[in-house]
Amino acid sequence: MTDRPARVNLNPPPADPPLLRFDAVSVRRAGRLVLDAVDLQLGAAQTIAVLGLNGAGKSTLLALAAGARAPDLGEVRVAGQRAGSAAAAAIGWLPDPVPLYPELSVREQIGAAAALQGLAGAARQRAVARAIERLDLGALSKRLCGQLSRGMRQRVGVAQAICHDPKLLLLDEPCAGLDPLQQQHLLQLLHAMKSEMGIVHVTHLFADIDRHVDRVLILNRGRIALDAPRAELGDISGISAAFMRHGLALEPEAAA
Amino acid sequence: MTFTVARLELKRWFASALGWGLMAASAVLLAWWFLAFVDAFVEAAPELVGRANAPGVTDLVVAPFFASVASALLVLAPLVGMRSFASERSAQRLPWLLASRARAQHLVFGKWLAVWAVLGAILLLALAMTLSLYSGTTLDLGKLLVGFGGLLLLAGALAALAVLASAQTDHAPTAAAVALGAGVLLWLADAGARARGELDGLINYLALPTHLQPFLRGVFDSTAMAYFVLLTLALLALAVLRVARLRRAAR
Repeated sequence: MTDRPARVNLNPPPADPPLLRFDAVSVRRAGRLVLDAVDLQLGAAQTIAVLGLNGAGKSTLLALAAGARAPDLGEVRVAGQRAGSAAAAAIGWLPDPVPLYPELSVREQIGAAAALQGLAGAARQRAVARAIERLDLGALSKRLCGQLSRGMRQRVGVAQAICHDPKLLLLDEPCAGLDPLQQQHLLQLLHAMKSEMGIVHVTHLFADIDRHVDRVLILNRGRIALDAPRAELGDISGISAAFMRHGLALEPEAAA
Repeated sequence: MTFTVARLELKRWFASALGWGLMAASAVLLAWWFLAFVDAFVEAAPELVGRANAPGVTDLVVAPFFASVASALLVLAPLVGMRSFASERSAQRLPWLLASRARAQHLVFGKWLAVWAVLGAILLLALAMTLSLYSGTTLDLGKLLVGFGGLLLLAGALAALAVLASAQTDHAPTAAAVALGAGVLLWLADAGARARGELDGLINYLALPTHLQPFLRGVFDSTAMAYFVLLTLALLALAVLRVARLRRAAR
C-alpha cells in the first residue's frame, strides 16, 4: 500500500455573495438619468449612510434595492438573488412617506406588514409583539395609524420594516419628525441591530450619521461622488465638509 | 398571499365609514325594491288565483328583484372597487406592497377577492330578503339559487372591471367613473341591435344581460357561466399586467 499525498482542495468554497450589490445600475425617468451606472456593495452587518441633495437618487436607490422598481440598465442583487419578490423576505424597507393604512390600528398595521412578508399565526404574533416592544410602541398599539403624528408614523414604519427580521434594512429618512429623545432611541436601536443585518440609511441630517455607520456614500446627480469609511471623515464637521465638496459639486467627482 | 391581501382589504373596508355606509345604503335600497315587488305581487295575486300555469312568487318577485339587484351592481361594484389600487397609488403605498412577497398577481387577485366578497355580502342580504318569503309562501329554491349564482358571477366580472379601472389611476372617483362607464357599455352593448330585432349577433353575445338572463329565469347555462369566468379572468389578467408595469414606473 502506497502513501498517497493528502488531497489538496484547489477550489476553495465560494465566498458568500455581498448582501447588496449594484452592478452598473442606471435608472432614467422622464428623460433624466436618476441613477447613472451605480456600482455598490454592502456586506452583512455593515451600515452605510447615503447622503445627497433632493433628486440625487437616494430614494430611487432604496426602491431598487427593495425590488419595488426595476433598473433600466444593470442589475441589483440582494443576498445573491435578483432584487424582487424572491429576495423580499430578506428586506425591510421604510420608504418616505411611511406606507400606513389610516383605518388600521398600529398593531394591525404591523401585523399586515408581517403577513405580507409571509409570517402567519403564532410566528406573526410574536414578530408583531417584538417589533412593538423594540420601537416602544406599546402605548400606541391600539391607536389608529391615521391619528398618529409624523414621529409616531416613522416609528411604526421602522417597526413594520424590522418585524420579519430582515437581513437588509433600507431606511429612508428614519429620523425625520422624531423628537431628540426618539431620535436617540432609534439610533441606539440601529446600533444594536447592526450586527444582525446590513443597513442602508438615507438621510439629510449629518447628526444621524452616528456610530452605527461604517461607510458614508454621497450621491450627486445620480452618481456616487464619494464612498468612504465613516472613520475617515471624522466628526460632523468632517462629514459636512465632504458633503459640501462632493454632494454639491456641479460635476460629481469619481468615487474616492 | 392572495388571501393575505384579501384579508387586509376586507379589514380596511370594514374599518372605514365608507364601507359601512355603502353597505347600509345598499340594504335600505334593496329592501325598498324588494318590498315594492312584494307589494305589486300582493296586488296582482287575486287575479292569478285559479289561472292555469300562473306565475308564482319566484317569477313575479324574486326574478325581477334579482334583475334590479343586477343593475344596482353596476353602480355598487365601481364604488366598492374604486379604492383597490387608486388609494394605494395616491398614498404612495404601492411600491411598498410591490416590494413585499406579494407579486402583482397576488395583489390583483387578493383585491378582487375582497371586492367580490363585499358585493357577495350585499347579495346575501338580497338572498335573505327573498328567503324571508318562505315564511308565508312557497319558493322555487332551484330557480332562486341559480339566479343568485348568476348575480355572483356578474358581481365577479364587475369587481374585476372595477379593480382594473382602479389600477389605471391614482384618483378613486375617476376609477369609479371609468368602471361605471365600462360596465354600462357592456350592459347596453346590444341595445341598438335589440331595437332592430337582432338577438343572436356577436354584439348580443358581448352584452352582460344576454348571459345573465338565463340565470334569472332559473336556467343554469354553462356557456353563460364560461362567459362570466372568462371575462373576469381576462380583466384580471389586464390588471396584473398593469400593476406589473407600475413597478417599473415606481419612484
